[in-house]
Amino acid sequence: MDCQLCQKELDEYPGGNTDGNLNNQVKAHLEICEDCAVIYRIRSLAESVISFEKAISPDNNLSATIMARIEKEEDVSNNGKSLFIRILKPALITSSMAAAIFAGVLMGNIYKPISGEPGRPIELTLIDDAAIESVDILSNQ
Amino acid sequence: MTDSEIIIEVLHGNRNSFGILVEKYQSLVFRTCMGFLHDKDDCDDLTQDIFIQAYQSLKGFKGESAFSTWIYRIAVNASLNRVRRNSGNPILNRLDSLFGSGKEKEFQLPVSDTENPESILIRQEHSKWIQDALNGLPENQRTAIVLSKYDDLSQKEIAEIMQTTEGAVEALMQRAKANLRLKLSPAFKKIGKTP
Repeated sequence: MDCQLCQKELDEYPGGNTDGNLNNQVKAHLEICEDCAVIYRIRSLAESVISFEKAISPDNNLSATIMARIEKEEDVSNNGKSLFIRILKPALITSSMAAAIFAGVLMGNIYKPISGEPGRPIELTLIDDAAIESVDILSNQ
Repeated sequence: MTDSEIIIEVLHGNRNSFGILVEKYQSLVFRTCMGFLHDKDDCDDLTQDIFIQAYQSLKGFKGESAFSTWIYRIAVNASLNRVRRNSGNPILNRLDSLFGSGKEKEFQLPVSDTENPESILIRQEHSKWIQDALNGLPENQRTAIVLSKYDDLSQKEIAEIMQTTEGAVEALMQRAKANLRLKLSPAFKKIGKTP
């Protein structure tokens, strides 16, 4: 048996689909070929490491823990939403109203009547306030 | 009840139905994580994260593949991310081990009562070599090996999970085996027939 065939048959060695005769040939080759023997030892050890790791089970409470975490995270997310509804939304509405009122006052103050609009009558403008007789004087009379 | 029916129920607001999927697939996810992390506590944590991620992205599951394929993909990606994260902070990891705040990550094979301490140590050291050699493989080769050896999946299933062809998976497996041989042979030649 050559190394190529031996390494091909190692997948099934020992036992598996390898028949008795082939099994013996592989065994004989492994005794004389150090390279194939090393590959076989690596395979065997790797398989035992993997088998051991595969046999480890997750925590018994793992699914309960997962569901509890999902529930908790959903509650936190819902609480986050209700916090927005309870506090931030009224605050947002109040501040929007305050901003609207402020803008209204500001616009009212900067308003100037356009020229051509009827203002104070000219007769009133021409009245000389200083010349108007005091009410006291009139009352004394 | 099929996976699709359960998913529809969950999407309609029946959160508890997701528990059925968790029960059904937790071992599968845990085993995949084990192939990458080799530590039970880490795998428990990561399995939790994977299912929470799956629950949160369930709306994005279009049903084009089986739920198992989808959860495998999440598990592989999450495991690779965790491995990258763990190996990305060598200084922090060293500090952790120096001050004893890090968890003991040494892999230990079961020991029998009759085995002497020296052979136990040797065997555990050899196991560590295997583990390190697996960890040193490129990500795609490692993924193919983990899905094949830890999850016992066929090349067709692996190809579907890795979104590639069966031929590509076969090539990855061959390269992974050759790489493992290359990494481990010198050490195993030195020690003779001990393991």
